[in-house]
Amino acid sequence: MARKPAVPPSPGAAEPGRAKTGEPTGRDDRAAPGERFGPLAIERMSKDDGRALIVYSHEEPGQA
Amino acid sequence: VSRLRFDELRGEQVVYAIDRQERTFLPSREHCPLDPTRPGGPPTEIPLPAFQIAVFDNRFPAFESPGGAAEVVVYTDRHDGSFATLSAERAEALMWVWRHRYLELGARPDVDYVMIFENRGVEVGVTLHHPHGQIYGYPFLPSVPARELAADERLGGCAPCELLRRELADAQRVILDSDSVVAYVPHAARWAYEVHVVLREHRASLLDCDPLELRELSVALQALVRGFDALFARPFPYVMVVHQSPTGGLDAARSRGHLHVEFYPPLRTADKLKYLAGSEQGAGTFISDTLPEESAAALREAIARAA
Repeated sequence: MARKPAVPPSPGAAEPGRAKTGEPTGRDDRAAPGERFGPLAIERMSKDDGRALIVYSHEEPGQA
Repeated sequence: VSRLRFDELRGEQVVYAIDRQERTFLPSREHCPLDPTRPGGPPTEIPLPAFQIAVFDNRFPAFESPGGAAEVVVYTDRHDGSFATLSAERAEALMWVWRHRYLELGARPDVDYVMIFENRGVEVGVTLHHPHGQIYGYPFLPSVPARELAADERLGGCAPCELLRRELADAQRVILDSDSVVAYVPHAARWAYEVHVVLREHRASLLDCDPLELRELSVALQALVRGFDALFARPFPYVMVVHQSPTGGLDAARSRGHLHVEFYPPLRTADKLKYLAGSEQGAGTFISDTLPEESAAALREAIARAA
């Protein structure tokens, strides 16, 4: 399948630290410390069986 | 590994994911795989003692790389509750998580359509009660979004934009509205309490929304599901699907579509389910016992009660 261009960036919201292409990270990759997307802090991990796990955090007065 | 076969008679794909037959089915509360892994407790899918929102590759995927994607989105580390009981901040954060997953999955060469959805209730086949949704990255354009693009052709422009204009002009079936978002029971609702939540402005996907629109979308979705729960004073089952622009194929298709969220609740009364039987399955024609205008009035009242 031919490689397609990345989804164009949103005109409305700043997303500091967003990957330029949005390409998937390899399963062994860990995000650079401080990766963010809008209001979210992102931590990428790899589970014991190799599956990807992403944990998103944000500012919140109390736990939901 | 899933296999695809094309149903020539209906003109649509069928997916065979036979490994899913063994997936976890309604585990006891103590063995919920979506709980955090607590010290001394059983390991779960999330090897952390606490988290806010977690996304991981489905252990029993319908699609997997390089033939698509299947992810689980866990809304909270609390086992009890629902999308309706999340804090407003968490619900808004979830919109950003959806946006992020749409961006990353949609950029993959093996994903042509990103579908974010939630099945709620055993009535729609839920196998885990912990508040969560799912995302499928289809390696093809499925038939429903393909029909939506065909509706654009038929209506001479963006179909959801035109249908929203008609609903606002009629107003009988509108149940919620804000500066950015309108929710209505559609003119030709198939399910008794089907609701579409639509962005007022043309937005092809979550990527095109500004932060206020994302916030108002989360507010509308929570108000609606709280109203659903109030309608019959019971947890209200539904299938919720986020419709967005396709991400694969022709560039022209990638720029089309209009972000909206559709709810397909199976209840037609407090204790009666709508089944897809002869006409629905054999002819593709829904036969409903309820007029959309009456459902909209009931939902408006329930939403007001739940507010």
